[in-house]
Amino acid sequence: MAEEIQNKLLDFITRSFMVEKEEIDLDKSMIDEGIIDSFGLIEIATFLEDEFQIKITEDKMIRANFGSVTKIVNFIEREQGK
Amino acid sequence: MVFGIKIKMPWVNAVFSSNSLRIIMCGIAGILQTNHDQDNQRNNITNMTSTLSHRGPDGWGIYLSRHIALGHTRLSIIDLNSGDQPMMSDRYAISYNGEIYNYRELRLEMESRHGIRFKTTSDTEVVLKSFEVYGPDALKKFNGQFALLLWDRKEKRLLIARDRYGIRPLYILSHQNNYYFASELKAFDTIPDFQRKYNVNNLFDHALLWNTLDNSTVYRNVRSLPAGTFEIYQIDHPTRLSRYYEIGESEGNSPPDIEGAVEKFTALLDDSVKLRLRSDVPVGTYLSGGIDSSIITYLTSQHNKEKFKTFSVSFADKNFDESFFQKEMVTRLNSNHFDLEVDYKAINDNFLEAIYHFERPVFRTAPLPLFLLSQMVEAEGIKVVLTGEGADEILFGYDSFKELKLLEFWSRQPDSTLRPQLIKRLYPHLQHYKDPKRFGLIKMYYEGFLSDYGNELTGLNIRVHNNKSLANYFNKDFHISFNKEKLIEKVKSILPSNFHNWTLLQKNQFLEIKTLLSGYLLSSQGDRMSMAHGVEGRYPFLDHRLVESLFYYQDKFKLNGFKQKYILGKAYKAEIPDSIVNRPKRPYMAPDLISFFSHGKLTEQASYFMSPEKIKDYGIFDSKIISRLVNKFERKIPDEIGYRDNMIFTFVLSCQMANYWTRNPKNNRLNNKLKTTEIADFN
Repeated sequence: MAEEIQNKLLDFITRSFMVEKEEIDLDKSMIDEGIIDSFGLIEIATFLEDEFQIKITEDKMIRANFGSVTKIVNFIEREQGK
Repeated sequence: MVFGIKIKMPWVNAVFSSNSLRIIMCGIAGILQTNHDQDNQRNNITNMTSTLSHRGPDGWGIYLSRHIALGHTRLSIIDLNSGDQPMMSDRYAISYNGEIYNYRELRLEMESRHGIRFKTTSDTEVVLKSFEVYGPDALKKFNGQFALLLWDRKEKRLLIARDRYGIRPLYILSHQNNYYFASELKAFDTIPDFQRKYNVNNLFDHALLWNTLDNSTVYRNVRSLPAGTFEIYQIDHPTRLSRYYEIGESEGNSPPDIEGAVEKFTALLDDSVKLRLRSDVPVGTYLSGGIDSSIITYLTSQHNKEKFKTFSVSFADKNFDESFFQKEMVTRLNSNHFDLEVDYKAINDNFLEAIYHFERPVFRTAPLPLFLLSQMVEAEGIKVVLTGEGADEILFGYDSFKELKLLEFWSRQPDSTLRPQLIKRLYPHLQHYKDPKRFGLIKMYYEGFLSDYGNELTGLNIRVHNNKSLANYFNKDFHISFNKEKLIEKVKSILPSNFHNWTLLQKNQFLEIKTLLSGYLLSSQGDRMSMAHGVEGRYPFLDHRLVESLFYYQDKFKLNGFKQKYILGKAYKAEIPDSIVNRPKRPYMAPDLISFFSHGKLTEQASYFMSPEKIKDYGIFDSKIISRLVNKFERKIPDEIGYRDNMIFTFVLSCQMANYWTRNPKNNRLNNKLKTTEIADFN
């Protein structure tokens, strides 16, 4: 399950933000690495809501949930488990 | 390949080929040679000068001597009957582009105090005589915008100089033991055995900051003379660069209260406008709909008894259109107004020709409408326009100033939930900043800057952070990568000694002037776009007396809370419509990426330059990544396109087009009937 989420997420990131999969460190912040900017965060959040049928409320918009690919995958799993 | 160019205008709908556009302004060129190649000297300087023929329809001339050749193309604005160049006196020969607005006062001073006699009424002669009387210190006396080549016939040395803010361009090429100088880079395309080629590392720096730092350019072996400096060349001696002006050098004091600040500010701005209206030809103004150009236009009306012409761009895409505000001002002043509506097609169809004039990559299409607007201005018989550039830099108008203030305030209590709410007041023209549902994401983004906003990059931290992903787009053979420490070292090398005494916002102002203003807004968007059609832009906010005075005003007079350009609204609220004074800051923008897509596909021209074949042919970018970028938008153009995608697309496309022009320079010819001067000085 986590692997499937991660693959979909990575596919989205590579086609939207012009990075290769091997360039993405799964545990580093994509914001700090410069892969995504503020608008990129919006694009990712919109993708997650559409693709995984979850609702992202303001209290969930924190680095603990969005700080890296791994954190996003864990966040989606938790939301889908509800 | 020649692309047809269609320009949409309210009264004409004509198709021009790229070689038949009539384009005019004032340009300079020079060759300092060590090899005394007299045989080819005349041809070489004439060829260089011919590429600047679009910068001057009123005459051209050359000066030849043993060591140096000078060239000049002229747009006559002052002293229409004389003032031909190059000009020679007993001591000097000069080729000069620009205006010295206080030339009358300087002339009077030299006549009365130094007994100098003048043969013409031109400002060029005043410049020449100023050097005879004051030497290089003359530069400190000039209030204006200029680039000049001054040959000392007695000492056999060349002095080159540029105005304080880099309004007028001057490039230098070192090639095969000679030095070449020119107003525009295309002049170097005529030099035997030379072709402009990108320095890709500099190209990436240009991408990070919207300008290369100090004197480098995006081309190998080509420098730009830094603003506020002069350089001396002498055969068999090392070149000497000296700075005659630096931002913030005056170390003045702020008026103690806003009333005193307004009084001083309005007097200086009014005088600046008055000086810049000195012209033997009619002067118009640009009206963007914002407060800056509205004030300049208002002040022009105060000094101009007759009805004058104002010019605006409007957009078919209403997301970019500001015509409501433009009309408010036109109605208030009853100017003779001209509006140019620009649509996606006009941007697409004219982009390649505009890049011929930009000569470098750009990041937004915003310069393009100005390119078309100057064509309208020229058609209306106007050679000079006053515009509002510079106000955002000197009065803290950009959102980068607000961002810095917010980060400084928030960083004092990083765990505060209240302080970051101020983010909602940034970038009011961007939908995703206004959407309360997205606030958390934007806040997350800004958290990353809390620890280092105060380093030497100040507000540029955010721009650099947004732009560094461009490294991925370059051809992997170049190994382009972002190194923040290296960039900070480069920035440190241009900082003046008093930089660390300034407030955070003053520091940001300095860097915005050095990067965005000088290297982009005045250059690609300013000089090049207006000069393409023989229109001289003048910038009252960039009178150095005003810039220096305002620099030391208290920050709160410029950014009061989050109210940008506070003193401007306070000073002119009675004269400018409330709708303009009170409207949130909105940068001038034009449709970017969307202009190059039609029915879900790239337009023919964009498709050609962004094709995998052309990307590989030019070798600057990674063809796989560029294809992915194109595919992202060929799948679907979203309702909202982010800053970064717009910027990267425009950057890559314009890089490709600028490279096309270096490989396919135009064949320009000077009209011999307009030759006014040929001086052979071989004594």
